[in-house]
Amino acid sequence: MIEPRPQRILLVDDDANLLVVLAEQLHDDGYEVATARDGQEALRRLEAGWPDLILLDLMMPRVDGLAVAREIKAAADLPIIVLSAIDTADSKAHLLDEVAEDYVTKPYNYPELRARIQRVLRRLGDRIPRQSLVLGPNLTIDLHRRAATVGGTEVKLTPTESRLLHALAGNLGEVVPTETLLARGWTETEGADTSYVWVSIRRLRQKIEVDPDVPVHLLTVRGVGYRLVSTHDDA
Amino acid sequence: MTTPDGSAPESGAASADVGAGEGTAERRRAGTAERRREDTGGRAGEGPADRTGKGHRTAGRLGLSFRVLLTVGLIVAAVVPLAIFGSILMLAGLYTNGRVVVPLLIAAIVGAAFFGLLAAAFAATALTAPLRYIAAAVERVAAGEHSPPIHLAGDDELARLAESHNRIAAESQRRNRELGALLTAVATYTPAQGVKALAALAEKDACHIYSLIDCRLALVDPATVPIEESIPGDPRPVRADVSAGGEPLGVLTGHLPATRGWERADQDLLDLFSSEVGMALRNAELFGQIESQNARLVELDAAKDEFLRGVSHNLQSPLTSIRAYVDQLRAGSEEAARDRRLQIVAEQADRLTRLVRQLLTVTRLEAGALRPEVEVFAVGPRVRRAWEALNATEVAFELRDAGRGWLAVADPDQLDQVLWALLDNAVKYGGRDGRVEVDVRTDDTSDRLNVTIADHGPGVSEADRKRLFKRFTRGASQGSGEGTGLGLYVSRQLLRAMDGELRLEPAREGIGAAFTLSLPGEPPGDGD
Repeated sequence: MIEPRPQRILLVDDDANLLVVLAEQLHDDGYEVATARDGQEALRRLEAGWPDLILLDLMMPRVDGLAVAREIKAAADLPIIVLSAIDTADSKAHLLDEVAEDYVTKPYNYPELRARIQRVLRRLGDRIPRQSLVLGPNLTIDLHRRAATVGGTEVKLTPTESRLLHALAGNLGEVVPTETLLARGWTETEGADTSYVWVSIRRLRQKIEVDPDVPVHLLTVRGVGYRLVSTHDDA
Repeated sequence: MTTPDGSAPESGAASADVGAGEGTAERRRAGTAERRREDTGGRAGEGPADRTGKGHRTAGRLGLSFRVLLTVGLIVAAVVPLAIFGSILMLAGLYTNGRVVVPLLIAAIVGAAFFGLLAAAFAATALTAPLRYIAAAVERVAAGEHSPPIHLAGDDELARLAESHNRIAAESQRRNRELGALLTAVATYTPAQGVKALAALAEKDACHIYSLIDCRLALVDPATVPIEESIPGDPRPVRADVSAGGEPLGVLTGHLPATRGWERADQDLLDLFSSEVGMALRNAELFGQIESQNARLVELDAAKDEFLRGVSHNLQSPLTSIRAYVDQLRAGSEEAARDRRLQIVAEQADRLTRLVRQLLTVTRLEAGALRPEVEVFAVGPRVRRAWEALNATEVAFELRDAGRGWLAVADPDQLDQVLWALLDNAVKYGGRDGRVEVDVRTDDTSDRLNVTIADHGPGVSEADRKRLFKRFTRGASQGSGEGTGLGLYVSRQLLRAMDGELRLEPAREGIGAAFTLSLPGEPPGDGD
């Protein structure tokens, strides 16, 4: 799919060295880059026009990155990737789930970062309400919290599972091809193939279906892909 | 403590001296006499009426009861004089009318005997009633019941016996009460109260228990507190050493009202209290030490974690800059991309990054804040990538992937750290024949993927095998090498946290050390 215009990224970081280098690298890869040194500057840039994605460094010493992220999200519901010292193993990681689509720890690997940017940008066009999505009497998903409630019990979803469900929920009731799911769930640098999608869907079924062997929400469309259905409307 | 010996010493025991003649018991069967022991277990105090034994038999010489003796005695006393008098009369020749005198004499003797019987009955009752009364009171006190003081009219030995009983009963009840109060007080002492508070409590309790005028518990060497002289008329000083386990902790001093007596049994009770207080103080001391040590340990632990975390955070920003600029330089031109020097800078920056990651992981593990986030991925390619990151180009590497498309279920970042650690070790200890082989296999029965990393070095010695995965050991054969990577202990903990395992394979011919990682695995399925 050819984008009619270059995608715009807003880079928020107080480290001048980093801003310069990263902005150049992203520019070389075809993105339009705007920069901001702190939260206020970031909000001003937003007023001038919305980017497609925001790269926010959380490790700014004099700025509360999390507060900035929240402010940005309140001003414009744009995808944010955070650069942070907190990784997924940290107990505070769930705080970031509220505001960030993805997070990358420093020091990062540029190709990895670029791959994640691409993955997040593929999500453009999805319209997912930022609240619970009730798919049936036994399934409610809360993608903004990376969780689902199955038959009364809450289960946590991994980031990958969350991304897959996001892709499926963004096209509720319609088939999503396996290749699309692959591109949405993983970056090129991860070396994933379709078996990753199969196995992940199988594990997702274990988590969200009351009877994984007889799925009612996460259905296979042989030879094409998968689709997520709500059992409310019988259309 | 005196034990009953064969001959009972002289006692002022109030066995009534009744009757003349052979009435009094001279010998007690001391062997059967039990000394009534005070509850303190000390010697019975001395005093007038204190050797009365419980179970002591008032046995007369002939084993006849007192009543019988009395009766016989009185009758004899009444009859004998008459008989003698009659005999003398007869012998003196006043015997003229034998027919009159003899029956008269016999009648007189019978009459005397009869009156003697009556008198005996009366006297016996007069004696045994009070004695029974006293005995009943004694029984009550012995049974521990509350027994009011008894009174006997009169001024004789029986009355004095009653008074003696009262005194003993009062003393024993008092000491029992003191003992009860002592035990109650001691039961309230807990180590958490602290030494000072306990000492103050003990002072108050001692005053209360022993009805002291004042009391002081000084936590000093007892030798430094002079022993107070007891001056008659002044409040009587009392004192007991407080110690625990033979070690003196202090001394308890106080004063009794001048009118109070202080017996051996009372001193014993005070000593008992002091020894309990000593133990409580010792416990409080130890408790306090442990508490403060614990607090310090917790502080140190938190400080260490904070420090390590700060260090790794501080390293992350500069490393990011270095990496970013080197990447840019290398992307600048063909020549730059091939420049070995730039490549080395990049590699070393990566190595530092790995170390920082490992450092963070270790601190999180220690703080219990590690939560693996599992993903599915192919483990063979992951191992190859980990190997390539190490850049050990002089070492031959062979990967045999029999995974059959199975995907591992694990935290990819943490698995990377474990792989780096194991591969790094394989290179370091690989010895001259630097060759590293990795086998990936599936275990269908248990749904697991096993990755064995083997080197061709000297292997792990028997002695080291046992200690290898322990927290703080390093192999005895450790070279000086840069061994700051993830240790085997941490590696195993990481794997276990994601439902995996790490073990050392048994030694085999042709192989050095071989470690097997085991992870949960998922077969690829068939697209459904």
